[in-house]
Amino acid sequence: MFNKKSLLLTGYFIFHLTFLSQAQIVSDKIDETKLYAESKQVNQFFRRFNGEEDEKGNRYYPTDKQYRTVKLRKKYLSILFDGSNGGMSDAVKNEFVKTVLDKPETSILEFHGKNWFSEVQTFFTSNGKDQPITLFMELEKDHLGSKWVIYKAHADMYKPYFLRDTTKVGRFLHPMSHELDFMNLRKAFSNTDSISQFTVKRFMPDHLSLLLYDLKKGNLVFKSVDQMKFHFFQIDGWYFEISEFNRPGYNTGWLISNLVKLKDKSDKEVLLKYLLYETR
Amino acid sequence: MVNFKLKYILSFLFSALMIGITSAQNAEISPQRKQAIDSLALEKVRDLSKYIAIIGNKKTPFSEASRVMDRAEELFTPGSEMGVSSLKRKEISYFKVRKYFERLMALNYDRVTIEWYDIHYISDLERQPDGRYVGIVTIYQKFEGTSDDGMKYKDTTKKDITIYVERKKTQIQGRIIEFWDVLLGDIRVTETSA
Repeated sequence: MFNKKSLLLTGYFIFHLTFLSQAQIVSDKIDETKLYAESKQVNQFFRRFNGEEDEKGNRYYPTDKQYRTVKLRKKYLSILFDGSNGGMSDAVKNEFVKTVLDKPETSILEFHGKNWFSEVQTFFTSNGKDQPITLFMELEKDHLGSKWVIYKAHADMYKPYFLRDTTKVGRFLHPMSHELDFMNLRKAFSNTDSISQFTVKRFMPDHLSLLLYDLKKGNLVFKSVDQMKFHFFQIDGWYFEISEFNRPGYNTGWLISNLVKLKDKSDKEVLLKYLLYETR
Repeated sequence: MVNFKLKYILSFLFSALMIGITSAQNAEISPQRKQAIDSLALEKVRDLSKYIAIIGNKKTPFSEASRVMDRAEELFTPGSEMGVSSLKRKEISYFKVRKYFERLMALNYDRVTIEWYDIHYISDLERQPDGRYVGIVTIYQKFEGTSDDGMKYKDTTKKDITIYVERKKTQIQGRIIEFWDVLLGDIRVTETSA
């Protein structure tokens, strides 16, 4: 059902855009309709999801008749999924679309609405070697406006330093160490391979602090951004991810690349921990 | 240069008059004002497109290209960069705007054609901590370079252009007039498969 409908709607979209673009084709007649169909910016993904613009990308405002209408949102929602992803079943997509359209007022994506963040894959250079580092970024209010800030980082290069096997007894500071003014700390710190064993079980290394330290010490130099995606928890009971697809055809630009129905709050917490590398 | 800036000031003052200036003291941007700002931003983007075509044209004498590069640079906030990647090379290469223009001028083709699609997309404006507004204008460019030996290179690139919008004051015939100015910032250039 979803496929048929989205095909029809894409056709409708292309049909309209073909007319629209007749006077807008450059000399060798390259088809501009593809560029119109593309969700060209994350901003456009927001506007289409919310039903806030026409097919040419002109913004609708609350005073406009078409603004956020269910009809418009239904049309756009059908073209906002990555059609090549077999992992998102039509049933789940249909259910998501239904949730959004059944509660249109509460299913609006808000730019400043929290509960969404960016995952940015970057490369830094360390001793002449490229090191992939993931930055998690969110919007933060500041003075007269807002800005993107890094709130977490993950780098595989730091992982070996914190590995520890909690199944074994391993090394420890015995429970009467305090009576000795912890003089045995000297032995604990003498072997750097096992120092992680002396930390509390709940200890979670903070890669962002390490990254800042390494950058300030000159051990790392930023090289480039590789890829990025955005994670959304703004629609009640759902999680989705958007990624940019640069490929031939009409199903391009910023599209939903992952969609998960969340049963309850704990589902969200588990997923969030997974996304932030806290369980990996 | 004065004339150049005056062109935009007058152009925007005209737009401002058309939409009324009652909300000039208000930091919020009304839909009407947003439309006027969008027009001004597009005008600057079109100027940039025009300049890029002149700089890239092999028939443009060096002195003329150099003058146009100066003009083009004036459209930007200082320190603006171009971040360029292609389908083959995903990694972003960063160039200062001037350097990008110089590289464009030095391209080793005998004929270069640069065309722009009419399509554009203008984002909403978001306020940043210093009070200026920032938005992104997306445009598409088709490039074709041909050598005398018949070698041809073609690409279509998407250009996401940062625009900074700021309220400024100017004095015209003794009267202080407020207006919104638009400057271009960093540009992300990606090759598209379209």
